[in-house]
Amino acid sequence: MHTDRILGVAAIAVAAIMLAFGYGLEAPFAYEPTGPRAFPLIAAGMIALCGVILVWKPGEADPSVPPMPGRAIVALSGLLLAYALLFQPLGFVIATTVFMIPIAMIFGAKWWQGVLVGAVLSVSSFLLFDRVLDVVLPTGPLGGII
Amino acid sequence: MSFVSRAVSAAAISLGAFTAAPSVSAAEPRNPECIAPAQPGGGFDITCKLAQASLQQSGAVKSQVRVSYMPGGIGAVAYNAVVGQRRAEPGTIVAFSAGSLLNLAQGKFGAYTEKDVRWVASIGADYGAVVVRNESEFKSLDGLMSAIKKDATSVIIGAGGTIGSQDWMKAAMAARAAGIDYKTMRFVAFEGGGDCATALQGGHVHVCMNDVGDSQAAIDGGAPLKLLAIFSEDRLPGKLAEVPTAKEQGFDIQWPIVRGFYVGPDVSDADYKWWADAFATTMQSPDYAAELQKRNLFPLPMTGEQTTAFVEERVAAYKKLAADFGLAVK
Amino acid sequence: MDTLSYLIHGFGIALAPTNLFLATIGAVVGTMVGVLPGLGPINAVAMLVPVVFALGLPPEGSLILMAAIYIGSEYGGRISAILLNVPGEASAVMTALEGYPLARQGKAGIALSLSAWTSFVGSAIATTGIVLAAPVLASWALAFGPVEYVALMVFAFACLTGLLTDQPVKALLAIMLGLGISTIGIDANSGVYRYTFGSPNLVDGVQFATVVIGLFAISELLIMLETMHAGASVRIQQLGRSLFNLSEMRFTNAATLRGSLIGFFVGILPGAGGTVASALAYTTEKRVVDKTDPEGSRFGKGDMRGLASVEAANNSASNSNFIPMLTLGIPSSGTTAIMLGVLTLYNLTPGPALFRSQPDLVWGLIASLFIGNFILLAINIPLVGVFARMLSVPAWVLVPFIVVVSAIGVYSGKSTTFDLVLMVGLGIGAYFLRRANVPMAPLILGLVLGKILEQSLRRALSLSAGDVAILWSSPISITLWAMASAVLLIPLLMPRFRRWREETMTETD
Repeated sequence: MHTDRILGVAAIAVAAIMLAFGYGLEAPFAYEPTGPRAFPLIAAGMIALCGVILVWKPGEADPSVPPMPGRAIVALSGLLLAYALLFQPLGFVIATTVFMIPIAMIFGAKWWQGVLVGAVLSVSSFLLFDRVLDVVLPTGPLGGII
Repeated sequence: MSFVSRAVSAAAISLGAFTAAPSVSAAEPRNPECIAPAQPGGGFDITCKLAQASLQQSGAVKSQVRVSYMPGGIGAVAYNAVVGQRRAEPGTIVAFSAGSLLNLAQGKFGAYTEKDVRWVASIGADYGAVVVRNESEFKSLDGLMSAIKKDATSVIIGAGGTIGSQDWMKAAMAARAAGIDYKTMRFVAFEGGGDCATALQGGHVHVCMNDVGDSQAAIDGGAPLKLLAIFSEDRLPGKLAEVPTAKEQGFDIQWPIVRGFYVGPDVSDADYKWWADAFATTMQSPDYAAELQKRNLFPLPMTGEQTTAFVEERVAAYKKLAADFGLAVK
Repeated sequence: MDTLSYLIHGFGIALAPTNLFLATIGAVVGTMVGVLPGLGPINAVAMLVPVVFALGLPPEGSLILMAAIYIGSEYGGRISAILLNVPGEASAVMTALEGYPLARQGKAGIALSLSAWTSFVGSAIATTGIVLAAPVLASWALAFGPVEYVALMVFAFACLTGLLTDQPVKALLAIMLGLGISTIGIDANSGVYRYTFGSPNLVDGVQFATVVIGLFAISELLIMLETMHAGASVRIQQLGRSLFNLSEMRFTNAATLRGSLIGFFVGILPGAGGTVASALAYTTEKRVVDKTDPEGSRFGKGDMRGLASVEAANNSASNSNFIPMLTLGIPSSGTTAIMLGVLTLYNLTPGPALFRSQPDLVWGLIASLFIGNFILLAINIPLVGVFARMLSVPAWVLVPFIVVVSAIGVYSGKSTTFDLVLMVGLGIGAYFLRRANVPMAPLILGLVLGKILEQSLRRALSLSAGDVAILWSSPISITLWAMASAVLLIPLLMPRFRRWREETMTETD
């Protein structure tokens, strides 16, 4: 299917969700006539309108968009999500070391280069941000040691 | 509303009791951290920075207390994080305010209640205040109230928070005291008392329901504003002694804004007591009063079980208020 | 004493060796923090507060240090926007629009040095403005109530139609998605929770830094992966000339000046700031160029005038931001709010009296803004070569670096797993939107402007108890409405006017 058509359908779906969860928004009482519902519904309506236009009259396909390397994209997205989820439980140093190795390798690093990047990046940025700049980072299981 | 005065006097008595130096029962927890449940620069940040500075100054805490930020819902995000995932961190204290308790009372903290954490200490308080421009036609709270009574739409009341917030509560209580329906007052919600004070100076609203601390700081800085009344039991000390309370002007409205800390539910008794004692020691150190004053706060020292009792009493009172004003209490 | 002697006095303070040293340190740290995506001035300044106290600096010194970091990070934000298409700062979102295409054409060096220069001009103009007119302009900030903000936002939205040229439906979709995101969280007027799905994490809405990092930094990594697999080079190969030349400067002078003025006036308004200023400057410049030089316009493909105006505007705004802070004690952004907090810790109360009671502090700060800008220009031009080294770092080092810094940036602001996951989720979503040619800059602007528009509109209507007439009740708002209609109507009417003129011309022939 044409990219613009997919985009249009997705936009209509987003608008439908916004409508479903936004329609019931009501204040018990308010001091102005607009209310909390108007803007979300206007946005939903406009998104739906854009979606309909995109489905109805999709633009020319852009030949400059390269084909999507599906497996690589899924792998990188998955790694990023896992990093986000385990950032706190594993602690910054472990999570960063573990996840930056495969991410570096996706971008062409050899395994030892990946290990180097992961280790150096995790330790140096922990020292810089947590110790020098006083940004509290999660320590995870290493909490008793570092 | 004598529960406030009772709490304050109880606090004063126990402050005296602290002079018998409390024995530190547990070792200092590692990596002490203060979670400010807001963006940097706000009231919670100030609360944490106060703890950071004064705990170290008094020698109660040896290592540096670090401040981290977890904004959301006047403490809701931090409350859920501490009750959910970080239940037993001995080194983590979280700042709370009267605003947190008010939201907690209205069920806005999710499924959790005030029984779900351990309340460590209250370290200071601010009070609600009625602020107008210097050249305002309203010279007293009474004048303001009779104008509202005569024609509720003639006075635009601004506040730093939305319906159900502390500032709205103050406005609604004022409306109730004036004998009008709070739903008919002309009310405008701003994002923070500072925004309201700006709108007040620009002449966009007539009166702001703000806090004493911020307002007095603005006035000290030369802002052409004045306080009509303070929502405290008795007059405040220092230059604020000139400003009458709402109560003595015939409107029994009180709004103390307590600031303090809690720890996670699974923090051990020993660590809980260690924090309570650390705050007790700090709050009777000679420099503490100056630190409070720097941050435009007034003393309201309480630690340990006393804080818990105070919090429970306040939450119950807020629940009643919310119900009185027809706010949905989940 | 008059203004000039105060200013000379201020320079005396700012040029004291310690303060000069602090300004230099601040400029360097600020630039570095600004380069990193997700870490903005607010993080840098918040981190520094305890350090400043530990050092026991006097109030002038700590304020000078923080101010230097603040303006330095606005300089730094442009670097990663130009070189990597990853804005280091929200206000650098517009910078990438022209800066990155220029860099891809082998003009990275020119883009970097030219933008450093226009940043300097913008800042210098704004600082001069502070000296000449701060107290007068303070009343302009106060005059902006909810009503005026509504009109300003309508004007800004009208200007955004300038971005709707290429594929208007998609730009409109982006704006509306941004508007939709802006409605998440507690509604500041009614207290109703919107689209929070019962999660406390969304009660205060989506954190701005999370959105910017997700939409730009994370999605850019996926785009890089795609480009790599397509066999094209991931990044820019050559730096090109590292300094702009005189004709390029002359070419952009007018744009720089316009950008500086727009930035100056928008920056004074609390809450508007660099993002709104750079968007207005960009769209204004695009309109001007479309009208005066339609053949020479390379907007969207690397026009130096677009880059110049955006950088002049956001730096000008970050300087004029100090006006409400110094003259009224009103914080106009998160960063100035923290600086105000620092003042109170020194027992100084910010407000109209500050100019009288603390001339050393105020004029020392103003003078150090001038000096800080010179330092920034002086370190940024020679550093073009160093920054360009970022281009020779292999992707397998650069990508993990961006991921880690983005995660730290988000975590430092909210300390929750939720926001980290949200950042990645937004990034993946943005990747698909970008593949479908949906532009990201309008989305950010929809988010920023939409929120101010909605809340101001409803605040204005509760001021008037529901009477819409309040929206055009003040001279400022009427002016802005007129400007908005002009912006919308002139492009529609211009072709007709031209046709009409051509017809009448031919008749007279």
